[in-house]
Formats: sequence, structure tokens, C-alpha cells
Amino acid sequence: MTPGTLSATADAYRRPLSLGNPLLDLQPIAMVTAITSLIVVAVASPGWALQSAVSVLFVVIAFLAGRGRSYLATILKLWVAVGFLLFALRALLVKGQDVLVPLGPIAVTREGIQDGLVFTTAVMAICGGVTLFFAIVSMRRLTLALERVGMSPRATYVVLASFQSITDLGETARVVLAAQKARGIETEGNVLVRARAFFPVLAPVFITAMSATEERAIALDARAFNSPNRHTSVVLLRPWSAGDTVVVVVALVLMVAVVLGRVVGWF
Amino acid sequence: MASSGFTRFMQGYGRLTIFMIPIGVAINFVGGQIALLLKLPVYLDSIGTILVGATCGSLPGALVGLLSNAINSITSPPTFAFAVLNVAFGLLAGYFGRLGVFRVWWKTLLSSLAFAFIGGFCGALITIWVFGGLAVGGGALVVGALRALGMDLTAANFAAQLPMDVLDKVPTVLIVYAIIKGIPRRLLVKLPLGWVYLGQRKSGTAKQVPADASRA
Repeated sequence: MTPGTLSATADAYRRPLSLGNPLLDLQPIAMVTAITSLIVVAVASPGWALQSAVSVLFVVIAFLAGRGRSYLATILKLWVAVGFLLFALRALLVKGQDVLVPLGPIAVTREGIQDGLVFTTAVMAICGGVTLFFAIVSMRRLTLALERVGMSPRATYVVLASFQSITDLGETARVVLAAQKARGIETEGNVLVRARAFFPVLAPVFITAMSATEERAIALDARAFNSPNRHTSVVLLRPWSAGDTVVVVVALVLMVAVVLGRVVGWF
Repeated sequence: MASSGFTRFMQGYGRLTIFMIPIGVAINFVGGQIALLLKLPVYLDSIGTILVGATCGSLPGALVGLLSNAINSITSPPTFAFAVLNVAFGLLAGYFGRLGVFRVWWKTLLSSLAFAFIGGFCGALITIWVFGGLAVGGGALVVGALRALGMDLTAANFAAQLPMDVLDKVPTVLIVYAIIKGIPRRLLVKLPLGWVYLGQRKSGTAKQVPADASRA
């Protein structure tokens, strides 16, 4: 590495890390507040129209953040797998006076369709918000921001390590499954045979993982994880800006307006 | 500043518990994944909750349950409505662990009924209250079928969920029992409820690893 690139690299770490998109660069806490407020707006709104509008807004936000494609793919899958089923079950099973299509013991009624529509759009707006959260909010940035406002590093460790452990342990489990197969443990056949394979695959993986926590505890302690002083980090977050304030205020005002409107009875 | 609420909350549980919680979450997931991979007709996705509850105590177990459902809701947001069940599994496992239930295989087996009751009965209640009796997943189709046969919606929910949960919790607690049997003694001694499985009377709190300098 030449002295030039070295100083450039070092300099990059002295500045706040940018993800190259104004939306993604918002403070993670502002993003979480905004998404939560929009979910509340959807749940508190009376009909399916406003709820669907929130869902569409989520898609627009995802596209503005440059994550539109994968977000749309996920959310469409959810609509087909969850939304359609929720709607169909309600349309078929909710009893009503106005029968549209009689189908033997059950029937499609106007009330069922109405009920299904309102319920499905509400649930899907919640799903859309949660999916958007994980699509545009980086867990590492969020936990870093939370640590900065005083959350315990132990709490953020538990959250981040959970994600990491799922990946790691899943990998190990698959390796052990293949290894045990090679040693002749049957993983095909009837349910009992397959169930018996469960123990020799998982027991060693889980016990090893539990034993490894001891080493992890020592490793982290060696890095002063338990120090009562403020932890340092390699990455710097951009400080709270006017843009963040605007996002939070607009979202909160919208939420309060809809909830108040519902309570007071504007609609 | 470092001694925030979470730190104080975890203080009674010894240093290792913080590291066991992510492992518990991962065990929940991997258990479910392998059950799918082996095409078993059960979920097996609460092994970690019950395991951490049984070895570390109620609150860590509940935390594992809450985190697992929160992470699960990334791909399937409706799961979060059922988080309270997984939290209850953790709390109950901690209580059972303290009583020494997981030391004896037949007591462990009996405990599965309690877990299945929470999972099946309360699960059905949540399905009825939150989703009006029509949630998503494999159970919903069974409910729909029972309903089509003329069964009441509430009855259909209980009829579909209770047996499924017994079928799920029996292998779950047996695996927990087997894993606890397999945990090396040198690890057990450092876990908050390890004394139960080492056949000792409670000797103060768990041993601290590593030496605790920050609390002075």
C-alpha cells in the first residue's frame, strides 16, 4: 500500500460512513420511528384504501432507497403466500347475509369480502413495514446508533450475535448432517427413521455451540468488552441532521393526526 | 453509563448467560430448519428457548423466545403475534428447571404437556383474538377443513392446534433433556441453573467467567 492510498483509507474511517443514498444515510433511529409511525397509521386507519396507500408508500420508499427490486419481490411473495390466504379464508368463512357465491356448507358473502379486505390490507401494511425495516435499516448501524444514545453494549451484542449465530450454527448443522449421512445414519425413509436422525445431528452441534460461549466470553473480555467506559467503534455514524428531524416530525404528526382523527371521529 | 437497565437486569445471571442467549436463538432456528430438511411433521423451533430457560433461568429463556420470534417475523411478520407463547415457554422452562424437572426423563416427558398446553391452547386463543380464528400456516388449512365439515370456528382451532403441539413438544423436551445430559460439567458449573444438574444445593450465584473487574 502506497502512503497515498494508506492515508486515503485512514481518512475514510475518520469521516462518517455513507452508504451513498440519502435515504439509507438517515439516522437509523429516525428510520425506525418513521416506519413504526406509518405502521400505526395503517392499523389505525378505518378502511382498506388508506391501508393500501401506506403499503404503496413503503414500496416507493424502498425504491427511493435503491432496494426496490428485492423489496418488491419479497412483498409480492408475502401477498401471495399470506395476504391471499388470509383474504380467501375470510371471504369463504365469515358468515353474512348477502350471499354472493354459495359453495355447499360455506359461502362467499359480501360481508366476508369486506372483512377480508380490511383485515388483509391491515396485516399486509404491517408486513410491508417490517419487511421495509429489514430492507433499508442496517442492523449494525441501528445497534451502533442505539449504543450512542446509551443502550448497553451487552444488549446490542445479544441482538447482533443472534443473527450471526443463526448463520454459523445453520452452516455447522448442515455440515454435521452430511457427515452423519456419510457415516450411515439414515435421513430418508419413514417418519420414525428420519426423526431418529435428528438427535445425532443436532445434539453435538448444540453442545459444541454452548461450550464455545466460554471461549467467546474470554475473547471479548480480552478486548475490554466489559469495560465500563464508552466503547469505540471503527465506523462513525453521521450526526443527527435537519433531514432526520423532518422525517421524524412528519411521521409523528401523521400518526397523531390519524389516531386522533379515529378517536375524535373525523372518519 | 455502561450500567444501564439491561446490564443490571442481566447481572444476577452471571457473565455466560449473555453469550447463551444468541446460541439459544440460533438453536431455535436451526432446530426448525433441520426439522424441515428431514421433512418431519413438527416445528421443533422452541428447543433453544426451553434449553436456555432450563439452564440459565426464566428471564434469559423468555428473552430467547422474544428475540427468536422477532427475527422470525423478518420473513413472516404474522409470527410476531405469537411471540408471547415463546416468551411463556422460556418463563416456564426456567421455573421447571429450578424445580429439577429436566433432571429426570419422565418428569421431562410430563413437562411437554404443560408446554403443549401453552402452545396449543394459548396459541389457539391468539389465533382467535388476533386473527379472528383464521391465521396463516399449515394449521389454518386444517382449521378451514374442519370448519367446512361444520365444526365451530373456536372448536376447530383448538382441535387443530392442541394435538399438533403435543406432537411438537414431546420431541422438543426430549432433545433438551439429551442436550443437558451432554453438557460438560465444567460448563454446567458456570451456568446460573447448573447446580440443579450437578446435584448440588444452590451455592450462591453462578461462577463468574471471566473474573469480574468492572463491577467493583
